[in-house]
Amino acid sequence: MIRLRRGLPALLLAVALAVLALPGVASWLMGGTQGPYPVARLWALALDHAALSLAGVLPAALIGLALGVVVTRPGGRGLRGAADAAAAVAQAVPPVVVVALAVPAFGFGWAPTVLALMLYGIMPVLRATVGALEAVPPETRLAAEAVGLSPGQVLREVELALAWPLVLDGLRVALVLAVATAAVGALAGAATLGTPIVIGLQNQNAVLVLQGAAATASLAFLAEALLLMAVPARE
Amino acid sequence: MIAQPVIAIEGVTVRFGGTEALRDVTLHVNAGEFCALVGPSGSGKSTLMKLVNRLVVPSAGAVRVRGRDVGQEAAPVLRRSIGYAMQSVGLFPHRTVADNIGTVPRLLGWDAARIARRVEELLALLRLDPGMATRLPRALSGGQAQRVGIARALAADPDILLMDEPFGAVDPITRRELRAEMRRIHAETGKTILLVTHDPEEALELATHVVVLRDGRIEADGAPAELVAPDAAPFVRDLLGGGQPGLRWLSLLPARGALDPRPAPAGAPVLARDASLADALSRLAESGDEAVAMEGEAGSVRAEGILGARR
Repeated sequence: MIRLRRGLPALLLAVALAVLALPGVASWLMGGTQGPYPVARLWALALDHAALSLAGVLPAALIGLALGVVVTRPGGRGLRGAADAAAAVAQAVPPVVVVALAVPAFGFGWAPTVLALMLYGIMPVLRATVGALEAVPPETRLAAEAVGLSPGQVLREVELALAWPLVLDGLRVALVLAVATAAVGALAGAATLGTPIVIGLQNQNAVLVLQGAAATASLAFLAEALLLMAVPARE
Repeated sequence: MIAQPVIAIEGVTVRFGGTEALRDVTLHVNAGEFCALVGPSGSGKSTLMKLVNRLVVPSAGAVRVRGRDVGQEAAPVLRRSIGYAMQSVGLFPHRTVADNIGTVPRLLGWDAARIARRVEELLALLRLDPGMATRLPRALSGGQAQRVGIARALAADPDILLMDEPFGAVDPITRRELRAEMRRIHAETGKTILLVTHDPEEALELATHVVVLRDGRIEADGAPAELVAPDAAPFVRDLLGGGQPGLRWLSLLPARGALDPRPAPAGAPVLARDASLADALSRLAESGDEAVAMEGEAGSVRAEGILGARR
C-alpha cells in the first residue's frame, strides 16, 4: 500500500500532463487556430522515446554500478577521484552539446542521443552506488568476512543486498533524467516526443510545442511513478 | 608424541603502516583451553586474535592452526572452520535471526533441514525463544543480539572459537549472565576459546589461561591464579588485581586446598565444595567464627589456613 501511495503524486501529474498533450485540449488552450499532432502518432513517438531512454540509461546504469563497485574495493580506491571527476565532467556537458558533437561521428539517428543519455546518467548511478556501499556498517562487513564469506559473497550477499534501495534511487534519478532529456534526440533525427516540438518551432505552431513538451514531461513522471511503486520504501 | 597446540603463534610481528601492533609475539594455546587476552586498549590483543583466522596477516613469523600454517588454505575456508563473535555483534541486518545463525552451515553446503535443526539447537543452547528465529536483528535487545552472535559463531560446531569483547556492549546483569553462559558452553563442549577482553575480572573469572599484553608484547602468560599471586610481575598484578590483588588471588584458589583435619565448630557456616578461599574468608568475616565447614568433608577451613596460602 505504502509503495502505491509513494508513486501516486507523480502518477497524477503524469495523467494531467497526458491530458494536456491531447490534440483537442492542447489546441483549445492555444486558441484553436493551429492544427494539433494526432494522438496515434504521439503514441508511436512515446514508445520510441521510452525505448531510446532505456537504451541510454541501461549502459549508464551498468557503467555507474560497475564503477561504483570497483572504486569501493580495496584495490580500486585509488581510482575513486578519477571516476568521480570523469562522471562529473560527463554530466556537466549539456546533452544537446553531446548530440551536436556526436552527429558528425555517428551520423543521424539514435546513436548520438544514446551516447548523450549514457554520459548524463552515469553520475547519478555512480554517486548512489558509492554512497550506498559506503553506508554499509563496517562491522557488518567485518563480520561477513570473519565468518568466511568470500569477497564476492560479501559484495553480493551483504553489501549490495543492503545497498540496493539506495542504488535504485540513483537508477530512478538516471531514468527520469534520461526520459526528460531524450527529447533532444529529435535534433539528430531520432523519433522522440521532441519531434513535435522541433516541427512546432520550425512552423511557429505552439500547439505542437505544447503537446510535445507535455507528453515528454508526462512520460518522465510516469517513469518516476512506476519506479517508486516498484521499489520498496526505505525505513 | 608431544601434544601439539591447537593455536601456535610463533615469533609474530605485525606492522600497520609505520606502527608495530605486535612485536615478536609467541603464544601457544592447547586444545580445550579457555584463553583470555587482556591488556589496555592498543596493546595488540585484538590484532593477536585476528591472526588466528587471518583477518590480520603477520609481517613476520608464523601462525599455525591445528598444526597447519594459516596461509596454506584460502582464508574463507579457514574462517568457516573457526567461530567468530564480536563486540558490535555484526548481525546481518537484512537477514532473520535463523538466517544469521545459519550463515556458516549454509556456506558449508548443509541442506536446509539440517540447518533448521541446528538453528533450533542453538537457540535452545543460548536460551533464546524459538519464536525469535523469524525476527530481524533490529527487533532484538542488546543481550539477545549478543546471544544470536554467539550462536552464529557456534553454528557449524567449530573446535575453535574467537571472541572479540563479545560482552562489551551489554548491561552488567546481561554481561554476568552471558559470562555464565560461556563458562557452561566451554564446560559442555570443550572447545578451544580465545577471548579478547579489557576487563581483567572477566578474564580471571572465565579463562583457564590468561595472556597479558602491553604495547604489542606479551607481559605474562599463565594460569589466572599465578598471574595475581604475590610473586607475579607488578604491572600484571596491578592490571589484573583490581586494587586488591590479594583478595582476587584468594578468589582463584580452591578452599578445599586449605582443608584442616580439625572439625568445624557446631553451627559454623558450610561452604560449597567448589568455593574459593575468598568465599571462605567472606563467610568467616560474616560469622566471626574461626573456622567454616565444607559440604561433604569432616574437616574445616580455618583462618590460619586461608592466610597460609602464601606458605
